[in-house]
Amino acid sequence: MEVKSITLLGHKDHGKSTLIGSLLMQTGAATKVRIKEAEEYSKRMGKAFEPAFILDSFAEERTGEMTIDTTRAEIKYKNLAFALIDVPGHEELIKNMISGASYGEVALLLVSAKKDEGIRDQTKRHLFLSRMFGIEDLVIAVNKMDTRNFDEGSFLAVKKELSGFIGRIGFDTKRVTFVPISAYSGENLVKKSRKMKWYKGEPLIEALYESARRKKKQGNGALRLLVQGTIDDGAGIIGGKIVKGHLSAGEKIAILPQDQHAMVKEIVVKGKKVKKARVGENVAITLDKRMRFEMRGSVISNTDEKPRLTNKIRAKIFVVNKPGKSLCLKFNGIDLQCSGIKILNSINSVTGEKGPAKAESLNAIEAEIELEQKLPVEEFETTKELGRFVLYSGNEFTGIGTIL
Amino acid sequence: MIKQDLNALEEKSIYIIREAKLKFKNIAALWSMGKDSTTMLALTRKAFMGKIPFPVIHIDNGIDFPETYDFREELAKKWNFKVIVGHSEIKPDLVGSACCGKNKPETLKKIMAEYGFDALIVSIRRDEHGIRAKERYMSPRDEKFRWNYKDQPAELWDDYTSKLDTKGHIRVHPLLDWNEIDIWNYVKRENVPVNSLYFSRNGFRYRSLGCTHCTVAVKSNAKNVDGIIKELETTKIEERSGRSMDKENEYVMQRLRQFGYM
Repeated sequence: MEVKSITLLGHKDHGKSTLIGSLLMQTGAATKVRIKEAEEYSKRMGKAFEPAFILDSFAEERTGEMTIDTTRAEIKYKNLAFALIDVPGHEELIKNMISGASYGEVALLLVSAKKDEGIRDQTKRHLFLSRMFGIEDLVIAVNKMDTRNFDEGSFLAVKKELSGFIGRIGFDTKRVTFVPISAYSGENLVKKSRKMKWYKGEPLIEALYESARRKKKQGNGALRLLVQGTIDDGAGIIGGKIVKGHLSAGEKIAILPQDQHAMVKEIVVKGKKVKKARVGENVAITLDKRMRFEMRGSVISNTDEKPRLTNKIRAKIFVVNKPGKSLCLKFNGIDLQCSGIKILNSINSVTGEKGPAKAESLNAIEAEIELEQKLPVEEFETTKELGRFVLYSGNEFTGIGTIL
Repeated sequence: MIKQDLNALEEKSIYIIREAKLKFKNIAALWSMGKDSTTMLALTRKAFMGKIPFPVIHIDNGIDFPETYDFREELAKKWNFKVIVGHSEIKPDLVGSACCGKNKPETLKKIMAEYGFDALIVSIRRDEHGIRAKERYMSPRDEKFRWNYKDQPAELWDDYTSKLDTKGHIRVHPLLDWNEIDIWNYVKRENVPVNSLYFSRNGFRYRSLGCTHCTVAVKSNAKNVDGIIKELETTKIEERSGRSMDKENEYVMQRLRQFGYM
């Protein structure tokens, strides 16, 4: 069964873990043991049953009633499986949120319609990040409708307020669906809610299904094989993954950044010799001549459609911690020192607006980075795998970047 | 139980196993002779042209099942890989989780230090336990094997960026995405050899294998791989229901893993 990853987004306490817990129960994916454990724990806390406990497993997560780190749960719907990725909503835990969110193909944002909750900074910041990660399909669940007597007005108010921001940060509004729900009481999740007859759309799970099935944008199909390294020194076998295009035995290829040309003698996929390898496959290849340089981090392409080779990149960077003196860029399996960074402007992750050239944590910047050696890169929009990087200052995680 | 696309799971695991070998200097894998770590070895052979290019560690407390020892000898010979056996001693005053939390990790610590391994492949899966679901694909442990779960490193995309504390090691989890039923479907598709204890004898079989002290058989008539797959398609019972130490306290797995349990 094909699995589609869905990242949950939203401010803390807006109901992400509760929603996943309810979905696990309503689709029959939660085991009796897990449900019973959550029941017992709720009772011990003197609370009504809390579906979030099915998911939040750390002791601190239950007593503190907050998700600390990302986790994954699966549900089945029609011919698809959804891997629901829960992430923490707390601002301080954004590093964990980013880790979970980077795997998503579709995003599911939760906004509480409850009085005094509503759209928060973190709501918008998560949307900003998911767009940066290249997520195109978005479902927005307006939650806690039970606290508003399932009134249409409170749903429309959230919808109206978010629509402008979504367009401004680059989502195509045709690929965004709003659904009113109550994660806690289970309304409009799998079955159409009778309490919200004014809502003419599909229940949440169907909206997710439609989003997951929509075709994703893809750049041109020229070969991009990311080399992990030499897997057999003696035989000169190179291991790597095809992230775009295909590779045939006998084909002429270019190796970057070394800019060497060679011919592919043999391709092995999962232990079997093949004539042609396809996108997504991990290959082991032998070339017609031995390469004497370190292959880890190299990119193999066709000889006529190579990625750009440069030591200067322009990027959008989401800053988690302010950069220190030395910056290290992690790209395609290797670490590179940055020799310079010039900030062009900042982007406020809550308003989506550009501002002065200053790096502030939890906001983004556009910058030019100079590297100590040339890299084969592409725009993130063209080839994700060659257009993204992670930044560190010493041992500290600084942020993530996408190449413009 | 959700059946996932085996090809997709296989590709991701191969990528992670290769990444572990190529990123670190000196790696090893843990092998319990159970279905998961044996599947990991089968995947390793696919990643490395039929070879297993690192040693495999068995932490042996002397009370594993006889079938388990036989299986170890047979497969190591058949697939031609090096097995390092770490002998741990069962102390009568340590039972259940106290035994698992102390004996095995202590022996593993000695082996890791003796051979200087900087990364260790461990075949845990998310669906086994809520705590295991919180793991990263590559997760640092300090020199005392502690898991700092409150501050795990960021892990984005295919770039497993874990920083290595010079005195600790990295746990690599290539099977994190697999479900129990995926393992069995893969065992069937690829003819992966498995320990005979998984199959029903006199109406009982082992669903999850530990040592003889803490593992109990569950009721089952599944006499072969097909039977197991059929059973898993409808079961509502958790996989580790036969592992007594899990049930002592609801957070026992969290504490075990925090202090170095595999």
